[in-house]
Amino acid sequence: MTIVACTFGDPTASGEVEELLTLARRLSESNASDLRWLVAGSAPRAAVEELAAAYGVATVDRIDDPKLEGAAPDASVEALAQYCASRPPATLLLSQTFDARLVAPRLAGRVNATVMMNAVDVENDVGTVRVTVSAYGGDTRAVYELTGDGPHVIGVMANATAPERSSGATPVINDVSVDLSRIEERIRIVERTPEQGPRLEDANIIVAGGRGLGSADKFHHVEDLAEALGGMAAASRPIVDDGWADPSRQIGLTGKVARPALYIAAGISGASQHMAGCSAAKTIVAINRDPDAPIFRYARYGIVGDCIELLTELTNAVKAR
Amino acid sequence: MRIVVCAKEVLDPDAVNSYAVAGRLEIGEDGRTITQAAIPRLMNAYDEQAIEAALRIRDAGVECTIAVVSVGGDQADVLKQAAAMGADEIATITVDTSTVDYHVAARLLAAYVEHSGGADLILCGRQASDDDQGVVPALIGEALGIPVITIARAVEVTSDAARVTRVTPNGEEIVEADLPAVVTISNELGLPRYPTTAGRIAARRMQANVLSPDDLGLTPDDLQPRVALTKQFVPQVQGNCEMLSGDSPAQIASDLIERLRADQVLP
Repeated sequence: MTIVACTFGDPTASGEVEELLTLARRLSESNASDLRWLVAGSAPRAAVEELAAAYGVATVDRIDDPKLEGAAPDASVEALAQYCASRPPATLLLSQTFDARLVAPRLAGRVNATVMMNAVDVENDVGTVRVTVSAYGGDTRAVYELTGDGPHVIGVMANATAPERSSGATPVINDVSVDLSRIEERIRIVERTPEQGPRLEDANIIVAGGRGLGSADKFHHVEDLAEALGGMAAASRPIVDDGWADPSRQIGLTGKVARPALYIAAGISGASQHMAGCSAAKTIVAINRDPDAPIFRYARYGIVGDCIELLTELTNAVKAR
Repeated sequence: MRIVVCAKEVLDPDAVNSYAVAGRLEIGEDGRTITQAAIPRLMNAYDEQAIEAALRIRDAGVECTIAVVSVGGDQADVLKQAAAMGADEIATITVDTSTVDYHVAARLLAAYVEHSGGADLILCGRQASDDDQGVVPALIGEALGIPVITIARAVEVTSDAARVTRVTPNGEEIVEADLPAVVTISNELGLPRYPTTAGRIAARRMQANVLSPDDLGLTPDDLQPRVALTKQFVPQVQGNCEMLSGDSPAQIASDLIERLRADQVLP
């Protein structure tokens, strides 16, 4: 029985690798399975060694091939399929990044594996893998049992596990070769308009606005406070759908997943769909007219009141210093 | 050109949200099924947008047949709505949905495509708003050996290629793939059209093509689920919220800033 944690590219680029390795290690310890970390694409060797040692992963398999550069779904699926054929894992866990959300089910289809996405927990029971996933936009948790010998391909949501270090031996790093010579990506990129400037995913302070702002012309109050705090402005999905804010500002299950130190939510009710994108914030401040809004359950500090007034006063208070 | 759109009926996610937030979501004795009769069933909103994407292709002047298919014998409302929106054909695959996992669903839909005259383009919602899995489109693509483009905001087709605007975390990108292809549609596509009265009348006359797995050449082995839902519950959130109040918004604001500084959240 082998459990493989699979990541793509530079593992230092996000906080998700640490979470995935923690979950994979716990799973492997629970039923004495082998644990391997599969690193696909180019990744700095020193960083991989350091992370593997810090998270108790003894064996690292590296697949590096020029065809894996960038988002390359056909090459990624083929590389992982060849890997699974040569050393079949019982369970293959992937961090559920935007690209992995496509690669995971395609890999499952290719190698006839079962697949589950949105996992928040994975347990091994005798002969059965039990996966707890988020459903209904985070309103419910669903528990699924996967039968058969696997492989089971499982996408693990960001923030599912708090990273926990574990000392281990110096990791052994194997270079695994795959043959991608016949792969030509079937999806051709015609044009990319990369977002300019800082990313919400990396922001330390985020001020987000929702329907409670009242109208599109009020979104600047969110931007004003964000600017005063040296942070970034964000939005809930309903106001993005209504055109009050740019889609690139959207936080949530179908938007961006952020992990700021401070998240100020103004006029956002706190639907699970939204919280999926910000619940990892260290401190959440909620401003809402409705004292029963679910957002207060997640918040450290709550203010019941008019969010425009409060955003304005907060901006003044920050600037006054 | 033939466009197949896959559609699914779900419990209204907004209603589920309201009950879940109020702590009143009812899970049945089996421990996994939401049993609230008051929660309406409706077409998965992303699937509605997938139908809209197909109709926009037709509006752009592409000669095409739009077929909408759903899995399960209880999808009449979804198919009527699809017909009223403007689908040319509607089809249902009669199977007990409680034993259909994602793998079986994808196999049934891929078999439908193969048995119904093929498809140049398969459109699906990016995910179903009940289970949020979003794996069926990719599994269909693998079953048919065709490319899968996810999270589209706009889809255009030429005679042999699809040109798709995708919404990615790093900004928009425009990609192309040869047809046939699977494309999944996201909410950024915009609102689906409301059926016209003429559309509704025409829909009443349209008969669904009713197919069994047997009609699609599938055996009982092909229908063996490997993923089973065993439990469902509403996660508890541990709150420790401190409510701030004061004489004026200005006072509350400065109180909050003080506290965030004391907590070292702000410098």
